[in-house]
Amino acid sequence: MADHSSQAQTFADQVRAIPGGEHLERCYSCGTCVSKCMIQQKVEPEYNPRRLLRMVMMDMREEAFESPTTWLCSACDLCYPACPQEIHISEVIGAVKQLAVEAGYESPLETVSVDESLCSGCGICVMTCPYEAPHLVEKELDGVMDRLSEVDANKCMGCGICVAACPMGAIARPGVANEDIRAQLDAPRRNGAPRMVTFVCDWCLRADADVTLLESYPENVQVVHIPCTGRIDPEMALMALGSDIDGVLVCGCAPGECHYQRGTVVSSCKIGLLNRALDQMNMGDGRVRFVQIGTQDRGRIRSEVDAMMEHLVSWKEAE
Amino acid sequence: MVDASRHPKVDVRTFTEVERVEGFVGNFKVQLREKSRFVYEDRCNGCGECAEVCPIEVPNYFELSLAPRRAIDVPMSQSVPLVYNVDMDSCIECYKCVEACGELDAIDFSMEDEFVWEDVGSIVVATGFDHFDPTAMSEYGYGRFPNVITAIEMERLNNSAGPTAGELIRPSDGEIPERLAIINCVGSRDKRFNPSCSNFCCMYSIKNAVLLKQTYPDIDLSVYYMDIRTPSKGYEEFYNRAREMGIRFIQGRPGLITEDPDTGNLYVESEDRDLGRVTEREYDMVMLNQAAVPQPDVDSISSVLNIAQSPGGWFMEYHPKLRPLDTPTDGVFLAGACQGPKDIPSSVAQGSGAAARAGRVVHADEWEIEPVIAAVWEDRCISAQGKKCGLCERACPYGAIEYEEGKAPNIVTAKCHGCGGCVAECPQNAMTQMHFTDAQILAQMQTLLADKPEEKILAFRCHWCSYGGADLAGVSHFEYSSNERGLRVMCSARMDADFIYEAFRLGAGAVLFSGCHEQDCHYITGQRVGAHRAKRLLRRFERMGMTPGRFRVEWISAAEGEKYARVINEMQEVLDSIPREELLEEIEELRPDMARRARRMREVPQIEEASDFAEEIAEAHRAREPEAV
Repeated sequence: MADHSSQAQTFADQVRAIPGGEHLERCYSCGTCVSKCMIQQKVEPEYNPRRLLRMVMMDMREEAFESPTTWLCSACDLCYPACPQEIHISEVIGAVKQLAVEAGYESPLETVSVDESLCSGCGICVMTCPYEAPHLVEKELDGVMDRLSEVDANKCMGCGICVAACPMGAIARPGVANEDIRAQLDAPRRNGAPRMVTFVCDWCLRADADVTLLESYPENVQVVHIPCTGRIDPEMALMALGSDIDGVLVCGCAPGECHYQRGTVVSSCKIGLLNRALDQMNMGDGRVRFVQIGTQDRGRIRSEVDAMMEHLVSWKEAE
Repeated sequence: MVDASRHPKVDVRTFTEVERVEGFVGNFKVQLREKSRFVYEDRCNGCGECAEVCPIEVPNYFELSLAPRRAIDVPMSQSVPLVYNVDMDSCIECYKCVEACGELDAIDFSMEDEFVWEDVGSIVVATGFDHFDPTAMSEYGYGRFPNVITAIEMERLNNSAGPTAGELIRPSDGEIPERLAIINCVGSRDKRFNPSCSNFCCMYSIKNAVLLKQTYPDIDLSVYYMDIRTPSKGYEEFYNRAREMGIRFIQGRPGLITEDPDTGNLYVESEDRDLGRVTEREYDMVMLNQAAVPQPDVDSISSVLNIAQSPGGWFMEYHPKLRPLDTPTDGVFLAGACQGPKDIPSSVAQGSGAAARAGRVVHADEWEIEPVIAAVWEDRCISAQGKKCGLCERACPYGAIEYEEGKAPNIVTAKCHGCGGCVAECPQNAMTQMHFTDAQILAQMQTLLADKPEEKILAFRCHWCSYGGADLAGVSHFEYSSNERGLRVMCSARMDADFIYEAFRLGAGAVLFSGCHEQDCHYITGQRVGAHRAKRLLRRFERMGMTPGRFRVEWISAAEGEKYARVINEMQEVLDSIPREELLEEIEELRPDMARRARRMREVPQIEEASDFAEEIAEAHRAREPEAV
């Protein structure tokens, strides 16, 4: 690893020395990255990549390390293709984060945890993680050496893709365990209208109006929020269909816009497979649907939910 | 335009393209393609009855498809001359227009393009600029959201002769917008599209905002900008006036525009840097102030006129500070935005200047050129002996060499700029350059390398760039090795392979081959000729087993004094790293090969004289040496 400790180097030099940290000085503070950013929009109004770049240029080390911008970026890269100076901002932030970790700072994010008594050391989590957070280590467990998964808390962004992927159910993220989701699937049937559940990721509905709209649906449209559609476990959909729910709509980000890089790729594969399995069991009929909503698709969620509901009504009539 | 067309000494040719240009300054022959309008210019009186009966309506390109035109129509009401034309791509040839024209008999469907040759003394290029198409910037939704329009579309909407008779309405529902956003720098200052600033758009956005505010005093107008650039007289005052009128200026480049599918309203998300937070504001309409880009056909124009392009595609001036109106081709001048984006006052100023420069050519009986032109020794030319060659013609960036197989080339003196590329390319040494003859350069080399040549770094510098770089290194007091010996030629294209071989034959420790950066070349493509040769030499010396670094190729601009000093010092380090005996051994080993390769140079006329002369000087120098020590 490169030596970042040299006193002669400025903070900016240190960031530049890390691959991906180059081109800092190109930033002319136009603000495009901030206005594109979902984190700034949804989580942290103080989040501001261009200001972090500025802190690096002005040698404001501690402030940069403490800034939420350093820790919250999930490298969705919405900003990168829009940056007029072609700065790969998430990589620069990653470089700052690397320096922060080396300086002893820790990520404030809620991360996944591994139940070591369940982990079989298969390594599927290692393969699915977009952030290289889990890795396999040799560990002593109950007096026996075993190969177990360990998650680097400073790398984990909490998307839950590994939670859904773990065949042993050994990885958990607080709040979105299968039990938590099952508890939410209790929509009461209202005068014979079909019941549907909409799994919606935390990031695909950019406009506040769309989020509010989703909440305003009658009770037979159940909304379950998940961090990423990558967290979708086919079991969840089966659970829903099994508990007398007629249809499942999964809403994720548009291709290339997934907040956790490849969550929607994983989920579209999973839902494709699930639908094939349902078709083979003659349970298909388009009752599980996956839609990808882009940042510019304001108001699309309404038409998607309406279309799904319409489909379910006609399906029910045919039943 | 109308005045110009009526002037007895001005001949306006519209709907005409320049196909070919031959000749040289003061004596150009220009071939024009006068495109067929299918309407006789001298018979049409512009009454418009043909258009009235025409059943075909197609989008009007002049109105940016905001309005229709008939298949037979005028492009715009102020067209000069006011003659109708037929758009053959959409015409169904029903001949209703012919009937309507009646007695005038101005319409003729059998008309064809005409080619004419004209004699002209000088040429002014004023082809202007084009607009960046913002469809490529998906974040702004142009082309998808009907109420996102470009500045030029706004120009038509806000024009009393435009498709809405000057009423600003939004395309989705025809309502007059109450809230309007103008976004600047769409496609400019953007490395993805055009990295440079488009110069006039800040003022253009302010102008549009002020005009709209005057027409619609209640309109809520915001201008999104990164920086407002108001660098000319009265501009800042105009900007202040706009702010006083209540136009809102928001510093921040919007990252996203979304559309409400029900109302067609647009939400612009941008960081407001003064507030320090991201704002999402709702507008009825958004205008994108797009970048100025070169015309799509600049490549064909530059090849027809033999003029170069700067990076980005704008036509290149002869010198950015000292000759901004001229091109490398004498007698061809630039006016307006074809040379780079500029506003109306600058374009008018440049146009007047270019006209004056062009007038100088037209009124001159004689034309003075640089004396460093090329010449041919016919008796040495293999083409004159019936063999195939033509290398000189290919090396010439100006088309100054007329080559015909079986004959010695003819050099059009007025076109030759004296880069020397042809001279160096000629494998027979059948060409020479006045004041930079092989003999003269050889004499310099012999003198410079007369004493302890193995310690010397012989630096070939081009007149315009690397010589300037060396000069700057000197005046800036950047220290570099005193073993450097500079030799000036006009262009790296003149740096003959023979010179390099001969320098090593004479025992030079190291040789530098330096010139302009490719885009800076004073002789359009001279550097490319030199660079190609230098690359070949590098490979050859590597195969010959020469220590890497003894022959070095560097492109150094006149502003890079520091680089020149660094390169020379690095070359000195290379020389220092080779033990003296080994270096001498290597020089001796390579000498026969070098001599063999440079042998043709010894056959060049006057070379012996030059050698003798150099020897004399070296002798005198050596005689003085003890005193100097």
